[in-house]
Amino acid sequence: MIYALIALGYTMVYGVLKFINFAHGEIFTIGGYVSAFTLLALGVSDSMSFATLAGCLLLALLGAVAAPVIVGLVVERVAYRPLRGRSRIMPLLSAIGVSIVLQQLIILIFGPTPITMPTLKIASAAVSLFGVRVRVLALAIIVISALLMVALSYLVRSTRIGKAMRATSQDMEAAEMMGIETDKTIVFTFIVGSALAGIGGLLVLMYYGSLKFDAGFLYGLKAFTAAVLGGIGNIPGAVLGALVLGMTETYGVSMDLGLIAWLVVAGLVAGLYVQMVRVPRHRLLHIANDRRTPDYERRIMNVYRLAPYHAVKTLLGERTDALLSVSASHAVRLTVGNIFLAATAAIFFINGSARIDTRWQPVIAFVVLMVILMFRPSGILGEHITEKV
Amino acid sequence: MAAFTQTVRSAFTKVPRWVYLTAAWVLAALFPVLNALDLVQTAWIRVGVLSLLFALLALGLNIIMGETGLLNLGYIAFFAFGAYTTALLSSPKFDLHWPFAALIVVSALVAMLGGFLIGLPTLRLRGDYLAIVTLAFGEIVRLTIVNVPTLTNGPNGITGIDFLKPLGPGVTARLQSAGLPQAVSNLLTIDKPTEYYYLVLVCVALGALLLSNLKNSRVGRAWNALREDELAAVSSGITASRMKLLSVLLSSAIAGFAGSLYAYYSNVISPESFIFMQSVIVVCMVVLGGMGSIPGVILGAIVLQALPQVIRESAGAARSEFEVYRMLVFGVIIVAMVVLRPEGLLPDKLWRGQAHEADPRELERTRQTLFDLEEGEQDLEA
Amino acid sequence: METILNLDGVSMSFGGLKAVDDLTFDVTRNEIVSIIGPNGSGKTTTFNVISGLYEPDSGDILLKGESVAGLRPDQVHDKGIARTFQSLRLFSNMSVLDNVLVGMHSNSKSGLVASMLRLPSVRREEAAMRARAQEILSMFPGRFSGPRQSQAAGSLSYANRRRLEIARALASDPVLLLLDEPVAGMNPMESHELMEQICDLRDAGYTILMIEHDMHVVEGVSDRVIAMDHGVKIAEGTYEQVANDPLVVEAYLGKRSAHTAS
Repeated sequence: MIYALIALGYTMVYGVLKFINFAHGEIFTIGGYVSAFTLLALGVSDSMSFATLAGCLLLALLGAVAAPVIVGLVVERVAYRPLRGRSRIMPLLSAIGVSIVLQQLIILIFGPTPITMPTLKIASAAVSLFGVRVRVLALAIIVISALLMVALSYLVRSTRIGKAMRATSQDMEAAEMMGIETDKTIVFTFIVGSALAGIGGLLVLMYYGSLKFDAGFLYGLKAFTAAVLGGIGNIPGAVLGALVLGMTETYGVSMDLGLIAWLVVAGLVAGLYVQMVRVPRHRLLHIANDRRTPDYERRIMNVYRLAPYHAVKTLLGERTDALLSVSASHAVRLTVGNIFLAATAAIFFINGSARIDTRWQPVIAFVVLMVILMFRPSGILGEHITEKV
Repeated sequence: MAAFTQTVRSAFTKVPRWVYLTAAWVLAALFPVLNALDLVQTAWIRVGVLSLLFALLALGLNIIMGETGLLNLGYIAFFAFGAYTTALLSSPKFDLHWPFAALIVVSALVAMLGGFLIGLPTLRLRGDYLAIVTLAFGEIVRLTIVNVPTLTNGPNGITGIDFLKPLGPGVTARLQSAGLPQAVSNLLTIDKPTEYYYLVLVCVALGALLLSNLKNSRVGRAWNALREDELAAVSSGITASRMKLLSVLLSSAIAGFAGSLYAYYSNVISPESFIFMQSVIVVCMVVLGGMGSIPGVILGAIVLQALPQVIRESAGAARSEFEVYRMLVFGVIIVAMVVLRPEGLLPDKLWRGQAHEADPRELERTRQTLFDLEEGEQDLEA
Repeated sequence: METILNLDGVSMSFGGLKAVDDLTFDVTRNEIVSIIGPNGSGKTTTFNVISGLYEPDSGDILLKGESVAGLRPDQVHDKGIARTFQSLRLFSNMSVLDNVLVGMHSNSKSGLVASMLRLPSVRREEAAMRARAQEILSMFPGRFSGPRQSQAAGSLSYANRRRLEIARALASDPVLLLLDEPVAGMNPMESHELMEQICDLRDAGYTILMIEHDMHVVEGVSDRVIAMDHGVKIAEGTYEQVANDPLVVEAYLGKRSAHTAS
């Protein structure tokens, strides 16, 4: 669920600028570090009165928001703004550079050892909910994320600045001509995104008690995965994606390979359905009426259903017919994909009894990221895509 | 003063490019002589070998990043493929001792296979997504290496990799037993830094030559066209998927080749050498030198690999603290280069760094279109 | 006369909007056909469908009797359809000459390894390509001479960029040349000059389908004019016939007269 807060920031910046703010993870870490530093400096402990403690925590929250926002603004000004209008990879490169710089600065300022926050009762307090003990903090994180999600959705949908954000995202030049101050809008987006990351940093720190300087890299990537999973640029999507990713990670590690193999088999069935039924049906729609003979339809179906043989034959022999040759190469690709899935399932079945070790946990997020980007880059809830041709 | 700089600059540009290039190669070739004359320490030759190895790697990355315009953030994974292939097939781990010639080819092929598997499904992705997917791929490869100790010894790495014998162990042994003079038979085993230096230098020179041939050819132009404008490129008859795959295959083969040399040279390899930061460093080399410029990326690699050593020697800083500053400088270099001088230190001739520039007439047209649209809307309302 | 291009009931829609609706027309060899129509009438979508950027929802596109509907853009280019873009899409960081050479991609075949080794066959092909590129560039006398050729395409003047796009499209010796608003943004003198060059191309044996807003140019070069509105072909014939067609007049002027009425 923590991913949700960071993912929201990713999604905000991406939604407006169409650019992956790689340094977002580091901004999150800064939030955590600054709040821990504040708490340590104030010397909080359980012996303090509730009011003082609340005050201290509020101060820490302030720090956790203020520092990331300042850093976010500086970064935007120095490293991103000059690159506006360049190709997609230039800002990304710059963002990677920024990410490295921030990480090293954290080490220089706070040292390479993880920063620990003072142990507090609130942080570890737990309540019993439906017979399961749940940490209050966990509940708080869920509530805060949900509230922020609703607030952000409202902000983007129904306010003036939200409208400006959407316009900037659609077409910066046109928005500018219509009198929208795109620079201010972007700065505002960065403020909101960085503040979210900062709050995330504070909550992670309180939940786990400590934070390491390079935490941002992994958290950032996972949050990015969550954002993509839900459909980047989509605010409820980010939260949904974070939930799905969190579940996959938690339950993924204890799953045995046999189960995953069955999942792959399900994928294989879906793949075969696509190859045998859906795609050929779709193809048949393209035949012009005067060519729609039963014989021709059967040939197209054959290319898909008996792919290896017919498709190769068609590819080698009949290059003249566009529809057939396109279908054939398409069919070959689908077959290769299905064979790949079948092989994966087979390998997993052979090692069926083995369980996924916790060591593989970081891999899960990366695999999810790769799979989602390969097969459905628009995510579960869809990305608002406006590519101009 | 201004006139003076002008004169100096024009004097520099008057000298043809090839003079500089030849001079650079000659200097590089003479470098070990300084060592033989006891003017520099052997440690510097080692720095030279690593710099050149990274130059080879940067040349490979430049193909996909500079020429084809696809950002690969997991490039070090292909280097790892090459290094581990060589290490596994020529070490006590499985007691296999394949000859050098076979291994260097097999390593490149394994890396190519990796490139093929990752490239096939991902190359149609947009640039920034592709970058992230390759990053994830690189991390998956590294974590797999760490997590499968039966094959790779996990985090401990593989030790005791064979010495590099260009003619293969069998032939070398037979020749040596045939009673060759000591000096000659020593040359049959490449184990001294100087010998490695020349081996890698030749590889870099050869790579630079072949790749610059490629640059001004049909394939190179197709890559450049895809980088500049994919839509226009496919409309000019370029099969985007095939050309991109070709670019990935070639660049991963070079990385595999370099990885193989690295395994021989360092004798020990472990997953630490293949972390994400290493990928970023190679990216940094390409950006610093100039994307798409062959002399540029070689220079970038040498500067970034050798310079930190120079600084460390002179500053005498402690290792951990030094690492922090080194990475800090890398980060600053990337940002500064991208923002201030995107064409790099030694730019490719034509790089102007601006994909889109506003043309007043074009702006006028946009405005006109907007106006038309608005008018259309009003019509609809009426 | 041999039919080069034949569109047969082509439809293309985006969401609910029918951008091209059951469009049927022919282009015969050595002919210049212009498509006119108000903004948003589906002209550029038609071009995108023909050149393979979009796959038509239904209908067929035949090039010399052979179907090209559903092929990828590069395959369509291989079959012999080359195009230019309304919003200039040059390879800005490549030289003028290289831009033209890229256009010859489908007509050449040097592979990766051969190019790396610079085999004699590669050298021969390269030399032939360069000679041909010179020939094509010299069609625009004085525009791309000498040092200009090694200049970056992005540094050219606006009119020269339009010319270079045409040169790049011509480089593959296309069966059919698609020009999307070739004189857009040019001044009257430049557009007049380009008009004559387009006519020269027809005399050299090319077949051209073009979209143009400038009626002066349409009148000057077209053998035949097709008018579109809302994705539908509303008129076809000589310039005079189309210009006087009541439907066309309404498509262009109707809105405005409706405006004054209300």
